[in-house]
Amino acid sequence: MNCEKCQDLISDLIDGSLSQRDQSTLNSHLEECLDCGSVRSDLQSLVGFCHTQRGQHDAPPNEKTLWLRIRNVIESEARSVAAASVPAGRGSWTNWLSRSWELSFPQLAASAAAIVLIVSLSTAVGLRRWQSGGTVSAPSREGMTLSASAANVRSRVSQQQQSIAYWNQRVEFNKARWNPQMRETFDRNLKVIDEAVNDSLDTLSRSPHDEVSEEMLNTALNEKLSLLREFAQL
Amino acid sequence: MKMRMFTARFEIPRTFYTKLVLLATLLLFCAVQSIDAQQKLSKRYPVSKNVRIELKNISGTITVESWNRDEIKLTALLDSPKANLSPRQTSEALIVDVMADNRGRDVGDVNFKLQVPANSSVDLETMRGQITVSNIRGGLVRAHVTSEGDIELIGIGAQTVSAQNNIGNIFYDGEICRGGTYRFQSSKGEITINIPADSAFNLEAAASNKKIALGQFWNDGIKSFGEGRKVVGDVGDGRARMFVMNFQGSITFRRR
Repeated sequence: MNCEKCQDLISDLIDGSLSQRDQSTLNSHLEECLDCGSVRSDLQSLVGFCHTQRGQHDAPPNEKTLWLRIRNVIESEARSVAAASVPAGRGSWTNWLSRSWELSFPQLAASAAAIVLIVSLSTAVGLRRWQSGGTVSAPSREGMTLSASAANVRSRVSQQQQSIAYWNQRVEFNKARWNPQMRETFDRNLKVIDEAVNDSLDTLSRSPHDEVSEEMLNTALNEKLSLLREFAQL
Repeated sequence: MKMRMFTARFEIPRTFYTKLVLLATLLLFCAVQSIDAQQKLSKRYPVSKNVRIELKNISGTITVESWNRDEIKLTALLDSPKANLSPRQTSEALIVDVMADNRGRDVGDVNFKLQVPANSSVDLETMRGQITVSNIRGGLVRAHVTSEGDIELIGIGAQTVSAQNNIGNIFYDGEICRGGTYRFQSSKGEITINIPADSAFNLEAAASNKKIALGQFWNDGIKSFGEGRKVVGDVGDGRARMFVMNFQGSITFRRR
């Protein structure tokens, strides 16, 4: 038996879980090898100590104070690390955000009310802006009051086109009832509005932030919708 | 020989006169038939001075003029005998809705003429046809042609004026009242605004083809946008507001 194999089996020998044969082979090696013999002695003394001290430990004199001290040390170390990593001028804001808040019930209620108020106001303002997007803007002393976002234009056009498609279907359904003169009138007028829509779209494709074309397009689409809606009622 | 010639000359006019009499009889018959086919409705409604008239037509002309009586005279010429016309009078308004009274039916043209007190408000709509309003000085004058038809508003003194068509000219001749709102819009037609020289209003006018002629109402405070397709600014002290838009026609301001 070599030393490596022997030291692997020493723990089992102390526990008494080796077979008779392995035990006799191991003992014969331990009698010859001083190194392996000292390993067995060390392990035996450790196991013996653990057996004698099982279930017993020395409690600190004031356990609560000790834990508070540990917590303070950890927090102070964490603060110093954070202060070192945040650029100057932003530390107070980060501290304000990262600090823990302890609020009384009235404070909590007041905070909740303030949040609800802010959200309601911003929603109301947003809705008004969104609604005013579908109509001709009122004149302002500063000049134009139009959205400059090309994405908004595309979105509005898409929404309008859906309504237009719906009313177009209604018109096509009723058209058979009209007299030829009324049909011609409708086609002629729709063509004029389509020309206005296409003119505005052409200009917007060349210069997407052209506010006048945006306004013209908006009005022309509304006119088209109005024409379709009224003829659909015939 | 002379006798023969005389006889021949006499017989030619006789045939001619016979034909002429027959043609005249035929024309008279046709005219009577036409008058019979076109029904006429005429009715008077006693009203207060500040009455509102709401008229919604499908096709045909609408003419409104003022008179010095506390009553409305409504005259309507109906192309089709199938057309229904049921004007409703409330304490504040006279309402005529050809569209609602004849939904889904082809009733042809209905041509209206209304004589109303000068202080009336008029709200007129038609799908197709000319609208003429003259000498009305009530709170509202609104003329809306959904498709094609000229609009003429003459001698108007209303606080709120709106004229809108798709194809056709718009002519406004009247005052600009303090604090009033004036809106004119066409897709294809000429818009002409004839107003007093001392008119004061905030203007927003747009024309795709840049044909905006402010004449003597132009001043340095008026700004131009979109390479001249839109102008915005105050004329005078800007006490009223005016919106004008034209897609394929011109906008012209003239001194009254």
